[in-house]
Amino acid sequence: MQRYEVAATVVEHQRRAPNQYELILHAPPIAQTAMPGQFVMLRPLPTHAPLWRRPYSILRANPDKGVFSVFYSVQGTFTELLSLKPIGSTVQALGPLGSYFQPVRTAKRHILVAGGTGAPPLCFLAARLAPTLQPDERLWFLIGARRSDLLVGVDEFRALGAEVRIATDDGSRGYKGYVTDLLQQALEEPIPSAVYACGPNPMLQVVSRVCRERGVPCQISVDAPMPCGIGVCLGCAVKVALPEGGVWYKRACAEGPVFRAEEVIWE
Amino acid sequence: MGVTPDLRVSLGRLTLPNPVMVAAGAFGYGLEYRDLVDIAQLGAIVTRSLTLAPRMGNPPPRVVETPAGMLNAIGLQNDGVDAFLLEILPQLRSYGVPIIASIAGETVEEYTHVASKIDRAEGVAAVELNLSCPNQARGGMEFGIEATLTAQVVSAVRQATTLPLIVKLSPNAGDLVSIAAAAVEAGADALCLVNTFPGVAVDARERRFRLATKVGGLSGPAIKPIAQYHLWRVHQALPEVPLIGVGGISSAEDALEYILLGAHAVQIGTANYIHPTLALEVIEGIRRYLSEHGFDSVEALRGALLDS
Repeated sequence: MQRYEVAATVVEHQRRAPNQYELILHAPPIAQTAMPGQFVMLRPLPTHAPLWRRPYSILRANPDKGVFSVFYSVQGTFTELLSLKPIGSTVQALGPLGSYFQPVRTAKRHILVAGGTGAPPLCFLAARLAPTLQPDERLWFLIGARRSDLLVGVDEFRALGAEVRIATDDGSRGYKGYVTDLLQQALEEPIPSAVYACGPNPMLQVVSRVCRERGVPCQISVDAPMPCGIGVCLGCAVKVALPEGGVWYKRACAEGPVFRAEEVIWE
Repeated sequence: MGVTPDLRVSLGRLTLPNPVMVAAGAFGYGLEYRDLVDIAQLGAIVTRSLTLAPRMGNPPPRVVETPAGMLNAIGLQNDGVDAFLLEILPQLRSYGVPIIASIAGETVEEYTHVASKIDRAEGVAAVELNLSCPNQARGGMEFGIEATLTAQVVSAVRQATTLPLIVKLSPNAGDLVSIAAAAVEAGADALCLVNTFPGVAVDARERRFRLATKVGGLSGPAIKPIAQYHLWRVHQALPEVPLIGVGGISSAEDALEYILLGAHAVQIGTANYIHPTLALEVIEGIRRYLSEHGFDSVEALRGALLDS
């Protein structure tokens, strides 16, 4: 797949929650080719510290307008530099990168499971998936966060007609507990389902196990430190089981970030 | 002004179209960047270090960002020399860019076996001996920090291939100059210095090392002054030996500094991750500098530091 290195123009920093923003960037080649689950590597300024670009999942993309957006929370030097970019200035953007979610067309229910900051790629997936659903296919969104003000994407999913279930660690909204409990409950219902998940690795590990136990196809988007994002440095190693037997390290940035859950070996 | 500078450089028997290469491990096997970078314009591509059998590498986390740098402990993950020769090399050589195969091993026999396979292949311009990887349990850097062992592996590889031989040195040697001299004595055509510096990073909140292997190799802008110091010292001691400078280059100016300190050529490592087209910009920047300052070749600028 063709990747593009572009100077993306800042269109807007849209405040979504305290300290959390949707950054809208104008970069037609990326906006026109990005698929849900893919990401971009951003560099607000050519600094030596921070040195690396940072990966951001694409939250939405509008090919007609040539814009795409990512979600960021201001915490640390890099995101401060990003937040200070004025409208009309440019950010170096490399993308679209990595693998993407592939809707399971035999499923009658598509369950998108987000934990922590994992919602953005699932919002993009839902936006592309919803218009293609048959009348007997349903869209579910299960989201978990530490507190209610950290929940992302609830309104978007409701607007798409999804069944939304919420879990917070402190019980400030919805079920008090983990989003993986909500998934267990949802899978009690005997509907042919497919699961698409993004969130912290411990959550993905549980999601993978729950799905395996019930024979539910599951795709997960994993997180790993990523110096390059383009498959060169081998820093973002993910241990996988090979179809021919044995194990190997695959790259979260190239073969991933979206993997079939049964492929990934958790340690 | 008005000079069209000659960017060609010769490192002994190895002639390159310009002095800017991409470093081992920082450009994959060579093809990974082809949709983003016109790789035919590079001075040379040094491949990821190749070993006799595929290597899985170290467990994650393998990389961590540090101030103006990064630590890596990849552990030489690669698909093995045979996969490179069969699957990558035929495509890579169609670009016409000089290809330098970096080789690594745990024993002298592994180095020579890999070198002889590369010697039989078509389209490789030179071999770079990685005697300096800090991320191997055995071999690698062990060979590069002791003069007798360095001489032993270099002369064995020298007999396994007729290709120009570059030896990449570790900055961990007690006396880098004596290692450098031993490598040249044993048949190295050129030296590349330096590889990464060993380092650790700690997560105080979790009270853990940030790398699974604890120790990794430091690279990036943070190491430039010490890498340049090592290059300059070796150049002073061995002024006739072609040297390749590597460590922290992230602009044309950085590359010019290495040339002024005595480097025949340079390699760009970590910066490729952040700025994939940097090598091409460095080539252009060197061309502009030579032209603006009236130097007709890279050779004319080399070592041209004013003393006072």
